[in-house]
Parts: sequence; C-alpha cells; structure tokens
Amino acid sequence: MGKYMMKSLLQMIPVLFFISLIVFILVRVTGDPVALMLPETATEDDRQVLTVALGLDKPLYTQYAIFITSAIQGDFGNSFHYGQSALPLVLERLPASFELAAAAMVLAIVIAVPLGIWSAVKRNTFADLLISGVSVIGKAMPNFWMGIMLILLFSVTLGYFPVSGRGGITHLVLPAVTLAVGLAAQMTRLIRSNMLEILNQDYIRTARSKGLIELIVVGKHAFRNGLIPVVTIMSLQFTSLIGGTLITETVFAWPGLGQLLVTSVNNHDMAIVQAAVFVIAIIVILGNLLTDLVYRFLDPRIKYN
Amino acid sequence: MRKWHLKGLTAVLVMMLLITACGTKENNTAAVNEPVEETPTEAKVLTIANPADIQSFDFQNNNTTISESVLVNMYDYLLRNDADMNKVPVLAKSWKQVDETTWRFLLRDDVKFHNGDAFTAADVKFTLERLSTDTSLKQNSLYKQIKAVNVIDDYTVDIVTDGPDPILLNRLSRMGSGMLPSKYIEAEGIEGFLAAPVGTGPYKFEKWTKDDRVELIRNDDYFGGAPKWDKLVFRAIPEASTRVSELLTGGVDIIADVPSTDVERIETADTTSIVKTPVQRVLQLVLRSTEGAVTADPKVREAIDLAIDKQAIVDSIAGGSGIVTRTSVTPGNFGADPSLYKQTLYDQDLAKTLLTEAGYAQGEAVLSLSVQSQYKEYAEVVSAMLTQVGFTVNLDILEASAFSEKMSSKTFGEMFMIGIGNSLNDASNNYNRFLLERAAGETDYNNPEVETLLQAALVNMDPEERTTQYQQVQQILAEERPAVYLFQVEAVYGVGAKVEFAPGKDEMFYAEQINPK
Repeated sequence: MGKYMMKSLLQMIPVLFFISLIVFILVRVTGDPVALMLPETATEDDRQVLTVALGLDKPLYTQYAIFITSAIQGDFGNSFHYGQSALPLVLERLPASFELAAAAMVLAIVIAVPLGIWSAVKRNTFADLLISGVSVIGKAMPNFWMGIMLILLFSVTLGYFPVSGRGGITHLVLPAVTLAVGLAAQMTRLIRSNMLEILNQDYIRTARSKGLIELIVVGKHAFRNGLIPVVTIMSLQFTSLIGGTLITETVFAWPGLGQLLVTSVNNHDMAIVQAAVFVIAIIVILGNLLTDLVYRFLDPRIKYN
Repeated sequence: MRKWHLKGLTAVLVMMLLITACGTKENNTAAVNEPVEETPTEAKVLTIANPADIQSFDFQNNNTTISESVLVNMYDYLLRNDADMNKVPVLAKSWKQVDETTWRFLLRDDVKFHNGDAFTAADVKFTLERLSTDTSLKQNSLYKQIKAVNVIDDYTVDIVTDGPDPILLNRLSRMGSGMLPSKYIEAEGIEGFLAAPVGTGPYKFEKWTKDDRVELIRNDDYFGGAPKWDKLVFRAIPEASTRVSELLTGGVDIIADVPSTDVERIETADTTSIVKTPVQRVLQLVLRSTEGAVTADPKVREAIDLAIDKQAIVDSIAGGSGIVTRTSVTPGNFGADPSLYKQTLYDQDLAKTLLTEAGYAQGEAVLSLSVQSQYKEYAEVVSAMLTQVGFTVNLDILEASAFSEKMSSKTFGEMFMIGIGNSLNDASNNYNRFLLERAAGETDYNNPEVETLLQAALVNMDPEERTTQYQQVQQILAEERPAVYLFQVEAVYGVGAKVEFAPGKDEMFYAEQINPK
C-alpha cells in the first residue's frame, strides 16, 4: 500500500508538468491581457510599453521557462488584475470553497443515504415512486434558478437566512442546499439501483435466513457493498465542487475559488489561472488517492500493487 | 421490529436534515439583519453593494469606476469635482498656472496619513512620479504627460508637463492621483503597503475579503472633520437579483446597477426607492470609414443614424434610464455643445431613400456589428431596426475580453457598439479616437479640418477658444457620423430606508455625501 501511494505521488509530477504546459499555452492563445488593462483611449505605443513591462514580448518558450522555473519554487508570478502574488490569492479562496463543498456534500449524504436505501427497500411502493420523482426533479432544476428561488422564499419572504455573502452557519445554508439538491438526487438514484441489485444477492438471502434483523442486513451487509460506486461519485463531485461552483458562488456572492478562476479567465489574468488550475489539479489527484484508500477500507479484498 | 428500526433510523436522519436546514426562525431572522461580523448596535454602518469588487488598494493600478467609487473614501486627490463638475480644493489649498507647462500647488499643512505621517510635497512628488514613470501601472498611460514634480518647500509643489496640458487638473482629480504615503511605501515596499494600505481620506482600511467585501472604518483625525459613518462596507455581489434581494431585506443600504426589470419591484416596496442620474457614459456605434467598407459612404452612415429609434430603445430596453444625444460630450464635460444634447434623428423612410441613393437594394448592404455581451439586447434591437430599412446585419456578440482584443487589434467589421465613459471630463477623451494616428486601421476617419481642430485643442490653454474648437468638431461629426450616438446612460441605484443618497455624474460613492436618516 505504501509503495502504491508513493508511486501515485510520483506520478503527480509528470501530470502536473503536462497540465502546466497545457494551461500555459491555452491562457496565451486565448487572448491578450494588455487590451483589458489599458483605458479605452490608450494608443498602440501604450500597449507596446505595457506588453514589455509585463514581459509578454518575450518568445513563448522563454516565458514558459521563466514560469516553470518560478512555479517549481512556488512562485506563479503576479496577478495582472490584483498586482499581487498569484498563489496566495488562490490559496486564500480554498477555505471558502472547502466550506461550501463540504457542507453541500454532507447535506447530500444526509439526504441521499436514507432516501436511497428506503427507496430500494420499498421498491415500487408509493414512497419509492415519490422519492424517484423528487430525485428527477432535483436533478433537473438548474442551480441558478434554484438559488434565486431559495433566496426569494427563505430570505426575502420568510427572512430565515441572509441573502448572500460568507459569514456564519446561516450564510452557508442556502448555497449548500442549492448545491446539495442536485447531488443528493444523483446519489439517491445511484444508491437505490445499487441496493436493488445487492438486495437480490444470495448472501443477503443467507443473512436473512440466519435471522439477522433487517437493519443489520440492509445497513451492514447490503449497504457497505453498495457504497463503492457511491464513493466514486462523491469523490468526483467533491473535487469538482472545490473549483467549479461558479454559478452558485455568483448567485450567493460566495468568494470561492470558482468565482476567482472564472473572473481571472475573463480578465486573462494568466498567473491566477495557472496557479488555480495547478492547485485544483493537486486536489483532484489527492482526492483520487484518498478514494482508492476508502475502496480498500470498504472492501479489504481490493489490493494495490 | 426490523422494519421499525429502519424507519426509526430514517426518521432520525430526516429530522437532522430539517434541523440543519431550517434552524429556528427567531435566530435566523436576527442573522438577516446583522452584518457578518458583530458591530456595536449604535454603530452607523453604511453598506453598499456593487456588481464587482475593487481591483487593488493600489489606486494607480486600477482601471474600473467601481474601484474608484470605493477608494475615494480612503484616498484624497489634490482637488476634485463638485456636483456641477467644478474643481474644488481637497489636499491642495490653491493652485495657479506658472507658465504653459508648469502648475504650482499650495498644500494643506494639517493633513495626516492614517499611519500618522504628515502629508507633504514629498508625497505629491512620490505619487505623481510613480504614476508617470512606472509603465506597468494601469493608470500610467493617462499620466505620462507629467515630466517632473519639483518640491519648492514642504507645502508647495510644482508640477511640470512635457508640453501644454490643458487637462492636467482633470487628471489630478480622478482615479490614480489619490495621494500615497511616500515614507511608508519606501519603508514597507509596495507589498507591505498593500497588506496595510493607508491614505489621507475620511475612512481607514480595516479589512478586504476579495470578491466579497471591503471594510473601512472612520478616521477620527480626518482634516475635513468627523466622518458621518462609523464604518463602510462595500460588498461585491455580481448577480443583480441577489443585490436587489439584499436591498429588500435590509442587508445593504444602497445597490448599484439596478436592472430595468427590477426597478418597479424596488419602487413598490415600502422601505426602498430608486434614484437615477445621468453619467458620463454614452452608448454609441462606431463606424468604419475605411475605403471599400459599406459604411465609407456618408449616405449609408446617415441611413444608419436615421434608421435607429433611439428614444424607443431608451424607453424599452433601458427602462427609461437614458437621454438621447447627438454628441458624446455630455453636459459636465469640458467642450460640451448643448445644441446637440437631448437631440435625436429618426426617419426610416428617409433612411430607405438614402440607402437606395447609395446604390444598395433591399438586403444588399451588409453590416457586421460587434458588441460586448453586456449590450447584447441593445445590439439586437439596433440590428432589427437596421434590417427594417434594408440592411443585412451580422451580429457578433463577444465576451468582454474577446471584445477588448478585437478593439485593440482593430479587426472589427463595419461597426462596433460600445459604452464609453469620460473620467477625464474633457472632450479630448471622446475624440482621441478620431485623431488620424489613432483612427488609422480602426475607423479610418479622415477630415483634415477635424484633425487640425483636435490637435490644436489638445495643447490650447485658452479655455474659451478650446471650447469653440471642440464644439466645431462636434458639429462636423454630427454631420459626417463616424459614430452614431444612441443615448447617455443613466445610473440606476436602489436605496434603502436608512439613508439619503443623491448620486453624482461621476458614479462615485463619497460616503460623506450620503446621509444617515
């Protein structure tokens, strides 16, 4: 297992190197930041002067060499937009993104696990149909619409929660619910289908025939075996939530990484885009590694070479 | 029994969810009306929501009106514009022109930066020399005319320009020229300064959570007297409907950039209202006069102007928030020609005739119209109106960065639509685009008389003669139409019950001009 982890961590190096190259090229071929930084009245001379001042007049390979040499030392350069070092700007957004992603994920699990199990156990009953129907609706509702409706109902009309911003637990509820609804719907359906398959397995019949109570049969024998696909989805969703909750972040004015990344892409703020993608890539790789460890915990038969 | 266990487990989980999601109404109602961080109940806190955050506390490295509207509360200019756009003293007590290239400023001797350093001529020298020489700063291109800043004594300073600069005072009363603390920056470096910025303004830096909020607190040592508010909070809320909801729930006191679709909702609510003011921004179509382009023919340009019902656009899409104009130099800007303001031309029949006279049958005159996505609806309506008189219009809707790049590379087709502001409050800012050097490859507009007038006005230190020059230019441009002006934009603000706010043309949020009720 130790060897596997070491191998996985070593594999990060070429992956990150490749990602840095792709992002470096993409942010440069998609636009010129100088056009956005100067006032509308700027002349061609002004553009040239600023291009030289930012080092964008150098050949691409020289720019990349400078970038990668500095990046290895943790310096992704200065943000054109903020005029500050890019990596700290990205890292200071992570707590907000983690907070929102974790809250949404916990909420989704709390909703999806009981509903998914109940739906499978009560297959083809009214409860099953209701849960399945609500899941489809939950999955189909766009986050943008959902967020605005929650604000109108719970903030403007009922006054239960603050409208937007990041602060205490009350600020977290509406954006977390917005994200959790779609996630929970997806996970509920996944858990239901996995459980249906497992509940028909021979070992479940054996467990029941031994006289075990239904809670043990379902909760221990069936549910644990049905968790591996769920863990896979949770891992993928959680890492994508860290960097990709732009719409929800925008609706709730939540200062997370997604908002920073998209603003920076729009501003052609190369240093921040490069640093953010780098950080997100590391999170995804570490997330995948963690998922592998959880697989092993759930099913000890799984071996890693 | 087994079933009971399963039901019980599920019920507990569902209950946990409900408790987490809802909480108690009593507690959460309180949360709505409380700022994120607790402040004393008697504290007077002004909260303003903008669609975006500031870019930096380095005033010289910002280029958005939103940034300036926040930072003016922390930094002071030597002089600034009053409500009628006249220059009034701030850090300078007085000023006079010594010769064509030199201005002398007498400074106040009772001003201190927020860290306690005295404000002196050395700070003026540091601020303006950094601004005029550091080419990586976003504001540098508007200050490179400053050649030297000579300290005469602690409270007297001469600013020397590289030639006659009739708009030096305009430059010194806008973004970028807020005075910086020279000793502090020299000791801490710019990174240290940005971590704990100080200015001379009525409010001091407290906290900046990027893309969330800027928090400033009162500066009790302000030379202009005790500030009105204990604390200012400038929130960045990009989604318009969220800003409106924050206003309706009392979460913020003022919101900027209210969409026309939400105006009625705010006006009909008990505690909120709408205030509007015309700003120095004119939405316009800039046309190519390049040889071979359809729009090179003056009759085609006139047909474009006559085909568009500007008042209808203001009344519908802009929700009535706009003033039609045939010039981009609106009142409050130096050189404005009042005879062209609040004027518009619209005659679709004549537009059709002109198009026929220009030799184009129905649909033959093909125009490309590039536009930034923020003005998409306006471009769509303009396009429909042009189609009605016989043009074929290809709309090219672009994101902000793609549009800027197309502009700077001068690769747009026959027309582009743009809203241009005027932070210099001077006609030169509107017409640099039509100077021969700048127009080459962009509009290719070429009228020797206009060129002579514009070049002369750029260095003319006689205000009356300069005004006449710009008014002559406006009359010629209104006739030749290298650009077709649609309307002057009006800024629309939502205001809560706690405050009285009369917005200015400059789109600034001077907290000292916003009164608590």
